[in-house]
Amino acid sequence: MATRNIRLDGDSVLRKICKPVKEMSYRTSVLIDDMFETMYAANGVGLAAPQVGILKRIVVIDVGDGNPLALINPEITFQEGEQTGDEGCLSLPGLVGQVTRPMHVVCKALNREMEEITVEAEGLLARAICHETDHLDGILYKDKAEDGLYEVE
Amino acid sequence: MMQKNPREIILDTLLDIDRHNIYSNTALHTALSSNQFMSKQDRSLISRMTEGVTEQRIRLDYIINQFSKTKVHKCKPLIRCVLRMGVYEIYYMDSIPQEATCNECVKLVSKRGLNGLKGFVNGVLRTICRRKDDVHFPERSDGLEKYYSVKYSISEAVADVLLHTYDEETVVSILESGYEKRGTSIRVNTNRISVEAYKKQLENIGIRVKNGAYNDTSLIIENYDYVRKIPGFFDGFFAVQDESSCLAVKAAGIKEGQTVLDVCAAPGGKTMYAAELTGESGIVLSRDISDEKTELIEENAERMGYHNIKIMVYDALKPDEDLTEKMDVVLCDLPCSGLGIMGRKNDIKYNVTKEKIAELAAMQRHILENASGYVKPGGVLVYSTCTITRQENEDNVKWFTDNHHFVLDSLVPYMPEVLHNKAEKGYMTLLQGVDSSDGFFIARFVRR
Repeated sequence: MATRNIRLDGDSVLRKICKPVKEMSYRTSVLIDDMFETMYAANGVGLAAPQVGILKRIVVIDVGDGNPLALINPEITFQEGEQTGDEGCLSLPGLVGQVTRPMHVVCKALNREMEEITVEAEGLLARAICHETDHLDGILYKDKAEDGLYEVE
Repeated sequence: MMQKNPREIILDTLLDIDRHNIYSNTALHTALSSNQFMSKQDRSLISRMTEGVTEQRIRLDYIINQFSKTKVHKCKPLIRCVLRMGVYEIYYMDSIPQEATCNECVKLVSKRGLNGLKGFVNGVLRTICRRKDDVHFPERSDGLEKYYSVKYSISEAVADVLLHTYDEETVVSILESGYEKRGTSIRVNTNRISVEAYKKQLENIGIRVKNGAYNDTSLIIENYDYVRKIPGFFDGFFAVQDESSCLAVKAAGIKEGQTVLDVCAAPGGKTMYAAELTGESGIVLSRDISDEKTELIEENAERMGYHNIKIMVYDALKPDEDLTEKMDVVLCDLPCSGLGIMGRKNDIKYNVTKEKIAELAAMQRHILENASGYVKPGGVLVYSTCTITRQENEDNVKWFTDNHHFVLDSLVPYMPEVLHNKAEKGYMTLLQGVDSSDGFFIARFVRR
C-alpha cells in the first residue's frame, strides 16, 4: 500500500468524466487500498479516484461511524430533504464553502467483491456520497458553493 | 471530501467573538447551524468548549499570564484563542489527555500559517500541563475585587459594583449561581391548555418538569433538545419567559378590559401575558425601537394566538402626546446592565462598566419620565429591570417618586406568599443564587 499524490484544483483530470469499472482486477484492488490510505493520511472523510488521477468510477468514504465504504459505480437513486453547511475538499486545500445537499440519499453501487449493494445515508454520510459521486462526473463542490469559497485561515 | 475539525470550528467561533465583539450565544448558534452535518459528539464539544472558554475567560487569561512571557492581550488574536482553548481543556476537561491537547493546539497554529509560533504555544501549554497546580491565584489580601474577578471570571468593575451593593456572602451566592445549570422557565398559555395537562404531556416525552417557584402558570423544564422541537411550540402552548418577568406583569394587577402599554416590549413575553390578563375586551399596545424587535413580538403573538395586541415601532425616548393619560397600566421593563442574568449571558459580566451603568440609569429616567405622562390618574406604572445595581433600581425609584405624582404601592396583593416580606414597600429585588429566579427588580407605582 502507498499514499498517492492528490491532484489539486486546476488539474484537468478533475474535470473529466470517469469510466465505469467492469471487473475487479488486482490493480483496481490496490487502487482502493491506496485511496483509503491517502484519504486517512490527509484527514479526509472521502476521496474519489480522479483525485488521485485515475478516471474510474470509484469512491472511498469514512465518516468515522465505524463503517468505511468503498463504492464502485455509485449511483444516487433517491434523495430527500435538505442540509446547508460547510464543505471542504482534499483537492482544494485550505478552502471551505457552503453547499446545500440532500439530507437523505439512497445510493446503489458495487462493493469490492463486485456485488450490488444499497447504502442509505443521512446527514454527513449523505453529504459525502453526493460530494464524491460529483467528482466522478467532473464536478467540484466549488461549482455549487452558494457564496463562493473562503479560506479557513 | 474534507471535514472540518471541530477544534477549528471552535477556534473560528472564538475568534469571531474576540475580534468582532459579537455575543457568544449568537456566534455559537451560527457555528452550529452551519455545521449541522457533524456528529452529535463533535457538536456538543463545540458548544461546551465555546461556552466554557467564554465563561472562564478571565481565569484562563490569568493562568496563561503566569506562564507566558507575552501577556495574553499582547498575543495575536489567533494565538490568544488557541491558548485559551488549550488551558480550558487542561483544567476543565479531564477526558482529553493533556498530550492530545498540546498536539492539537500546535497543529491548529501551524495549519493557520503561524509556524513560527508553534514553539511558543507548545512551550506555554506544556509548562502549564507540568505545573498545573502551581498557579498562584490572587488571595483575598490582594483586594477582594481582584480575588473575585479571577475566581469567578467577572470583570473587576462588576465585582466592585456587587461588593459595594451586597454583603460578601450574598455576592458569593450570586456568583456561584452563574455556574449552576438551571432549567428553562416557560409560561403556559392557559387560553390553550391547562398547566397540569401540559406538564403531563411534557413528562410523557421524557422532559423533566418542575413547577415554578413563584408563578403558578410557570414550569421549569430540563432535558430537551431545542425549544422549537418541543411539542406544543407551534401551537402556542407556551412562551419561554423567566418567572421574574411573569411577576413583573402580575405586579401591575391588570384587570379584564384594561388598556396596557408595554414601552420596551421585545421579544414580547410581558406583552403576551398582559394580553392574556386583559382578555379580548382589553388591549395591549406593544412597542419597541426597531423593526427587528417588533418582528419578534409579532412572531410570538401570532404563535400564541393573542389578537388584542397592537404592535408598533416606537422609540421610548421620544414622548408621545397621543397617549397622554390614556393608559390604565404602563409596563416599563427597561434596557439595563443585565447583572441579574449574567450567568446566562456571559458577555454581560465582561462588558459592564460603571460608566455604562450610569448611562443606562440616565436613559431609564428619561424613559420613565415619558412613560409617567401616559398613565391615567389612579393608573399603574410598573418599573422592572433584570439587573441588581442600586443605581438602576432603588435610586431610580427614589428619583421617580420625588419628582412625579406617583406613590409606591404595596406588591403584597400580587405576589406569592413566600415573597410577601419583600413586597410590602412597593418594590423588591430578587437575587439569583439567593432567590429562585434570575436576578431582577420590580417597583409598582400608582398615579395620584
